[in-house]
Amino acid sequence: MQFRKNISTLKVHHNKHTAGCKPIRVAPPKEVLLPMNMHSGSPAEPIVAVGDYVRVGQLIAKPGEGMSCPVHATVSGTVSAIEPMKQADGRSALTIKIESDGKMEQDPNLKPPVFDDVDGFLAAVKDSGVVGLGGAAFPLWGKLDAIRKNQIDTVLVNAAECEPYITSDTRMMVDHTDLVVKGVHLLHKWMNAKKVVICIEDNKQEAIDKLREALAGEDWAEIFILPAIYPQGAKQVLLYNVTGQVVKGGQRMASLGVIIINVSSTAKMAQYMETGMPLVDRIVTIDGSAVKEPKNLIAPIGTPISYLVEQAGGLSCEPGKVLIGGPMLGAAVASMDEPSKKATNSLLFLTEKEAKIYEPTACIRCGRCVANCPVSLNPAALARAMESENEDVRFAKLQEFSVGQCIECACCSYVCPAHKPLMESNKQGKRFVKKYKAEHAEGGK
Amino acid sequence: MAKLTVSAAPHIHSGASTNRIMLDVLIALLPATVASVVIFGLKSLIVITACVITALVGEALFNIVTKRKQTIGDFSAVVTGLLLALNLSTNVPAWQCVIGTLFAIICVKCLFGGLGCNFANPAITGRVFMLVAFSAVAGGANPTIVDLTTSATPLEQLGKGETLELMDLFLGLHGGAIGETCILALIIGFVYLLVRKVITWHTPVVFIATVFVLYLAFTGDVMMALSQILAGGLFIGAIFMATDYVTTPITTRGRIVFALGCGVITFIIRYFCAYPEGVSFSILIMNILTPFIEKWTAKEPLGGVK
Repeated sequence: MQFRKNISTLKVHHNKHTAGCKPIRVAPPKEVLLPMNMHSGSPAEPIVAVGDYVRVGQLIAKPGEGMSCPVHATVSGTVSAIEPMKQADGRSALTIKIESDGKMEQDPNLKPPVFDDVDGFLAAVKDSGVVGLGGAAFPLWGKLDAIRKNQIDTVLVNAAECEPYITSDTRMMVDHTDLVVKGVHLLHKWMNAKKVVICIEDNKQEAIDKLREALAGEDWAEIFILPAIYPQGAKQVLLYNVTGQVVKGGQRMASLGVIIINVSSTAKMAQYMETGMPLVDRIVTIDGSAVKEPKNLIAPIGTPISYLVEQAGGLSCEPGKVLIGGPMLGAAVASMDEPSKKATNSLLFLTEKEAKIYEPTACIRCGRCVANCPVSLNPAALARAMESENEDVRFAKLQEFSVGQCIECACCSYVCPAHKPLMESNKQGKRFVKKYKAEHAEGGK
Repeated sequence: MAKLTVSAAPHIHSGASTNRIMLDVLIALLPATVASVVIFGLKSLIVITACVITALVGEALFNIVTKRKQTIGDFSAVVTGLLLALNLSTNVPAWQCVIGTLFAIICVKCLFGGLGCNFANPAITGRVFMLVAFSAVAGGANPTIVDLTTSATPLEQLGKGETLELMDLFLGLHGGAIGETCILALIIGFVYLLVRKVITWHTPVVFIATVFVLYLAFTGDVMMALSQILAGGLFIGAIFMATDYVTTPITTRGRIVFALGCGVITFIIRYFCAYPEGVSFSILIMNILTPFIEKWTAKEPLGGVK
């Protein structure tokens, strides 16, 4: 029998109120805002001009250099502005604004891509504009590109959806089982994988049943059921719990012969291959205590948050905090005028009380962060390392305690009785290590 | 529209707080506190009041004088004061309580940077300080609810080869520090701490079991081994002092090593040395070794490369 260490996890309230809510397509918004950096990597470059008439699915920005992704029009209407817009993280990004004519007219030139080799497939995936739809926003083609250098044995389709509230992946599997299955077949074929494993938490029985039925008889396809605990869907955790493998520091997952693809990305990729319609809309979960009625919506990408919540039935009280993504890792936005983006799987509206910020106090070394870290780090020691004034000491300490292995799941911050921003500190620690290494590599030569 | 709060993830929290943890420790100490008053009478209230008030006033004044943020609201000073008091006997005059507590709070805790920064347990160090500075702090006082012919503590009696009634030991009807004698009350507190997940079972169980096993191995006498764990400050030390977060290792593995060390040192002092009690010293010594234990027992990160 294989002895396997148990990964520490959290039991957080699932709050999956919307799991049974079939997504409703929203009426076309008056305008959409499409930032050029809805994916990680270099920003896309606009190929339209102000005043141009565009239709749904039409390419409006081509991929930038290197790792990048195209952007397509998500409504039909007139490009009204192309200008930098400030975003939630404080950075500003070039944004294409389209004033909708309300017709949602499709681009007549759209047709399913035709290809007969891997290069063709990868090019088609790139054209689809699909990114990691679970929140990571990494261009899908970039992930699949690993096939060029690595033999891929196993494709893990990430359907864990371990963050509380969010059910957009769940609904994708339940309402569009066919697309998920088509995507799974495509991954199997073009990644030349021995196995495709759909990894799903045990709180999504309906999705499990539907996928089981649809994939019955395919001996290369497997449905792996995981306990519903946080952070089950984190790459390192999922890989370990499903295959027992571990990505070592400095290693790429693909070198182990494994890639992990989000389930909605899989489905959206299949949709493009079937219909030629690139990523223009998605399921967004609308939830949180400040929302009148939690719902799932299908909305054009770029729809302002304020419009989406209005379409969902409005707010029951003034929100104190609005999140793009889940409560563990989501980003708080400064204004509801901001658009939902490609990787926006949910919008959460928290009450004033839930938005309360606690002042961090002294670490009492209770060990909760250590006991709950999925990758067995010592977040308390890492936070202490970050306090070192001397940069050499700070670097050495951060390295000693393997800051690079942090998977940024926020379990440490969640359990800390002193309310220390431990995950945030680790993120800064990683940035510092990168900077320090770069500076010293130059200085040494 | 009101301004939206923008802050770093996560946006939900387990609800745990330092105050709540300290409050839980105080609640867990409540049975032992009540037992001390029942067994030793109102005199124990004087000890408790003197220590707790001194702890609060001492920390508050230190913060004012050094212009630091006021920290007495986190209850940790109350915990230190109460723990120290429960480790003293009613024979200790109030002025000694005040000096001992001031030493614990100011010298051991505040001067090192306050909560979370001290390397030794303030209550234990305060007790050891008083032991050295004044006369015996644990012995000499008898319970007021039963008539005893001797004023010796059970450990002193055991040292002379006398046998003791286990039930009396369990209920605490004998001389000693006011909070250490009633094992029943301490176990109730232990269970409360376990239920509230403030501590895990590892440290207390390993500590007490080590002492028991070593006595059994060296004497071959089960009654002796049982008497040894029930007498003196082993339970209060193992449950409330050796589980202090700040001064013990942060990982479970480290805590087990820490508890083992405490058990061995307690046994050595009690069995081989002239001094009858070794719990305080054992914890203090292991406090000092904590950074090393932590280093040796550090977990290997998943996927970490050396």
